[in-house]
Amino acid sequence: MTVAAQIKKTVATLKGNQGTLRLYALQTQDQETKEVYQEVMDINGIIIKDLEERIQVLEYEEPQYKGN
Amino acid sequence: MQIWLEIIIRPIFLFFFTLFLVRIIGKKNILRATLFRFVSYTIIAVVTALLAVNVISDFVLGITALLVWVGLLIAMDYLAIKSKWVHDIIHGKETILVKHGKIMEENLLDVRLSAEELLRELRCKKIFNLADIEFAVLEDMGDINVLMKSHKTPLSACDLGIKVAPLTEPQTVILDGTILPESLASLGFNQEWLGIQLETIGVSKDNVFIGQVDSSGDLYLDLFDDSIQIPQPKVKEMLYANFEKSQADLMSFSLETQNKKASDMYSSHAEKIKIIMEKLEPYLLR
Repeated sequence: MTVAAQIKKTVATLKGNQGTLRLYALQTQDQETKEVYQEVMDINGIIIKDLEERIQVLEYEEPQYKGN
Repeated sequence: MQIWLEIIIRPIFLFFFTLFLVRIIGKKNILRATLFRFVSYTIIAVVTALLAVNVISDFVLGITALLVWVGLLIAMDYLAIKSKWVHDIIHGKETILVKHGKIMEENLLDVRLSAEELLRELRCKKIFNLADIEFAVLEDMGDINVLMKSHKTPLSACDLGIKVAPLTEPQTVILDGTILPESLASLGFNQEWLGIQLETIGVSKDNVFIGQVDSSGDLYLDLFDDSIQIPQPKVKEMLYANFEKSQADLMSFSLETQNKKASDMYSSHAEKIKIIMEKLEPYLLR
């Protein structure tokens, strides 16, 4: 697997986590818990964004692996 | 009126009358009632029984006696709430048996409790060692309650300095195959949500004996058909594990890449995921 594909896999996992977190943030009745989930989602969102940018750079550098 | 007819009608009337009386007396536990309450219950029971089998011939007088007794009982209860003095007279006061780890012998004598009896009561509470007791009190209903020395009390999350997720009571949403809409609504869910959850697990609601939703929104099911294996909610553990995996991935990316800037980005994000995991640990794992 190329580096870009590996990073894509990690991004996919993190996005899945983001979804689960969002679900829990909606489901929970406790305000404090909700806030913790929200906060974690924000940090997770930044990581996803950075990794996606990195994928773009990698694909620009090595276009032959694009789309893997 | 014929005597047999009277014998039938009286118990029927008294049955519902006593039910009503007991309801208005209140819902204090009879096993933990104070002595006086116990005597009152006995008197109500005896008078009712005597009335039912026609020993007290004047029915109205018997009923009046019952009403007066119950009325006095309720009046005393109100007075006891309003005034500490009345409370102490009716219910008695608690007696301190052990203070600062030392047995108060004169108090034991006051309540006519021998040392053996005290030891037996303590053993019933799984306390075999007198040295572990800081404070013990004989309550007015005859129970002994004990405060252990602080180094002998069970450990709590607070003692360990661990943060734990707040827990609220779970709601029972399915009972005997029937969905309870009120408890679902109190959690902020609707029947469609429950339908989707059941579909995901793959059981029909008729097969569910009890279904409970905990404070984080996970559904626990007990089925009629015990041969069906249902997946228990493990989403939280999975979520935590996924974060752990992503962190490991980022660390390896950071080691593999030649690009200094990218390497820094990866390792800083690995740190961030570590922070995320620390924040989530109380909610997902405990």
